[in-house]
Amino acid sequence: MTENIMEFRHVGKQYDDNVVLRDINFKIEAGKFYTLLGPSGSGKTTILRLIAGFDQPTSGEIYFAGQEINDVPANRRQVNTVFQDYALFPHMNVAENVAFGLQIKGVKKSEIKRRVDEALQLVQLAGYGAREITAMSGGQRQRVAIARAIVNEPQVLLLDEALSALDHKLRVQMQTELRQLQRKLGITFIFVTHDQEEALAMSDQIMIINDGKIQQSGTPVDIYDEPLNHFVADFIGESNIVPGIMKKDYLVAINGQDFKCVDAGMRPNERVEVVIRPEDLDITTVEQGQLVGTVDTQLFRGVDYQITVHDVRDHVWKINSIHKTTVGARVGISFDPEDIHVMRYNETEADFDARLDSYEEGE
Amino acid sequence: MKKHHFSWSGLYLTIVFIILYAPIVYLVVYSFSAGTTMEKYHGFSLRHYADLFADTRMITIVFNTLIVALLAALIATIVGTLGALAIKETRGKVRNSLLSLNNVLMVSPDVIIGASFLIFFTMLGIRLGFVSVLLSHIAFCIPIVVLMVLPKLNELSPTLVDAAYDLGASRWQALSQVILPAITPGIGAGFFMVLTYSLDDFAVTFFVTGNGFSTLSVEIYSRARQGINLEINALSALMLLASLLLVGGYYLISKHGGRRHRVIAVKEGDAQ
Ligand SMILES: Nc1ncnc2c1ncn2[C@@H]1O[C@H](COP(=O)(O)OP(=O)(O)OP(=O)(O)O)[C@@H](O)[C@H]1O
Ligand SMILES: [Mg+2]
Repeated sequence: MTENIMEFRHVGKQYDDNVVLRDINFKIEAGKFYTLLGPSGSGKTTILRLIAGFDQPTSGEIYFAGQEINDVPANRRQVNTVFQDYALFPHMNVAENVAFGLQIKGVKKSEIKRRVDEALQLVQLAGYGAREITAMSGGQRQRVAIARAIVNEPQVLLLDEALSALDHKLRVQMQTELRQLQRKLGITFIFVTHDQEEALAMSDQIMIINDGKIQQSGTPVDIYDEPLNHFVADFIGESNIVPGIMKKDYLVAINGQDFKCVDAGMRPNERVEVVIRPEDLDITTVEQGQLVGTVDTQLFRGVDYQITVHDVRDHVWKINSIHKTTVGARVGISFDPEDIHVMRYNETEADFDARLDSYEEGE
Repeated sequence: MKKHHFSWSGLYLTIVFIILYAPIVYLVVYSFSAGTTMEKYHGFSLRHYADLFADTRMITIVFNTLIVALLAALIATIVGTLGALAIKETRGKVRNSLLSLNNVLMVSPDVIIGASFLIFFTMLGIRLGFVSVLLSHIAFCIPIVVLMVLPKLNELSPTLVDAAYDLGASRWQALSQVILPAITPGIGAGFFMVLTYSLDDFAVTFFVTGNGFSTLSVEIYSRARQGINLEINALSALMLLASLLLVGGYYLISKHGGRRHRVIAVKEGDAQ
């Protein structure tokens, strides 16, 4: 196992009476790409500011390479930040901005020049050194901000919504570039975003945070396939979330109809929520369908059709299908036991993991 | 040629400018008159300028005025900038009270300020003269500098300082290498602004200037009371020229603001 470079233990933060973070615990392994994902105001920037040392936690401890660093000031931490608003120095040109950190550390002129050129090369801005910041586009400024941070070769790089100002195309391009950069440099990245697609595409590990609490953490696939609760299921990807009753292990009732599933370890007849992703639902004939309903809308989206169907109980199902159907038609909906994911109410992440282990071992 | 349409607003503007500038033009024109009064123009001559340059008392006073203005502007700019930085650090009630105190000084009539300085200096037993004038000029200039610099500070992104710390800068380095250079245009503008305030101040100076020491505006006032002398016109014309140059300088600074002439480590062709 790789070493933990950083750890939050029971970290809380409040501004006056306003509790912004509560009991945050996580470990960061060296050399991985982490994403903090959450809606606006959930406390993502606050976590980064605590890591960087601009703010101090109200409670709990932050460890860096095994040392508690609660009281270490920002300018002595081995962390660099790419700010949400870039925070480039307006009175310096591109090269001077990038050189700032090295110059402060008293690195030799010739070496500064070499490393600045290298960093600019890395973010594909070679030759832009003498440009004024005001003469750079948004995307270029963002890359200057990244160069200014990585040139210092920090152990951990913090990126706060660093791509949010870019248009879709440049954004996707920068996502790939960033990911390649991270692999190449082997630096730990902690990336903040409120865009779930971005998080899924880039991360080794995602931490979903809402209302100052970590809701779930795990690999993109884990979180997408096995969301812990309603919030996570809803926030990550599109989903159909319906109430159900867990009859017994591997059998769940939806709309009074029993379905086989792959979840277990719950009390018999426990009330649960069931998640089925729209792309896991298929449209078939009425006879073959496990559920029957009427098509309400159909929207062509390029890769597929987004279809909504309401069933006999008036529940609306979102379906993504590459096959066309007809609005107003009666159709069947089919899915496999593996497509069903059952969520318990108020289950903690630890309990969820324990339950998963208990029945997966038994198989 | 582009066709101009008659417009009332254009006419209004023209009239306003004529009214504003006519007395000045009138005054300047007569500074070149050969006569000694402003009743009739007697033909071109530079005799009043010659008089002026022969008038050593007047020349000394011009230098006094300049020295007071430069020193006052310099010191007020330093103190005012530090003050603005300090105000920026405060928040809430403290900040509002500091700003209000600053604004009260801005709006209170010069006469009141002058009178209170007079009382203050006599109470402390400070002899009226160069020192008292300089001190009072510094005092009324500081609030102006604060008011010019503070908006520039507020414009700065709060993360700019965080970014400096993040890159390893100490408090002092963040201040001297990031904040101050970023607000230099504001500081320069403040300096020129208070320079002009100090140069043409009459009311405050009138109160605190002693017997042996005088500045231009006070001197001109006392001479004008003894009857018109066209030497004053000549002096005024020169001062007008000086203010034009100042305005030009101010304009250049605000136009090329932001760009520093400091060159740090990395520049093309460096380190080879
Ligand atoms: N200096 C502060 N004083 C008081 N409250 C603050 C301060 N900074 C942040 N907050 C509050 O903390 C909460 C979390 O803020 P934070 O900036 O961490 O959110 P975020 O997840 O980064 O949101 P966004 O996606 O909009 O950037 C917000 O409710 C905010 O109002
Ligand atoms: Mg934020």
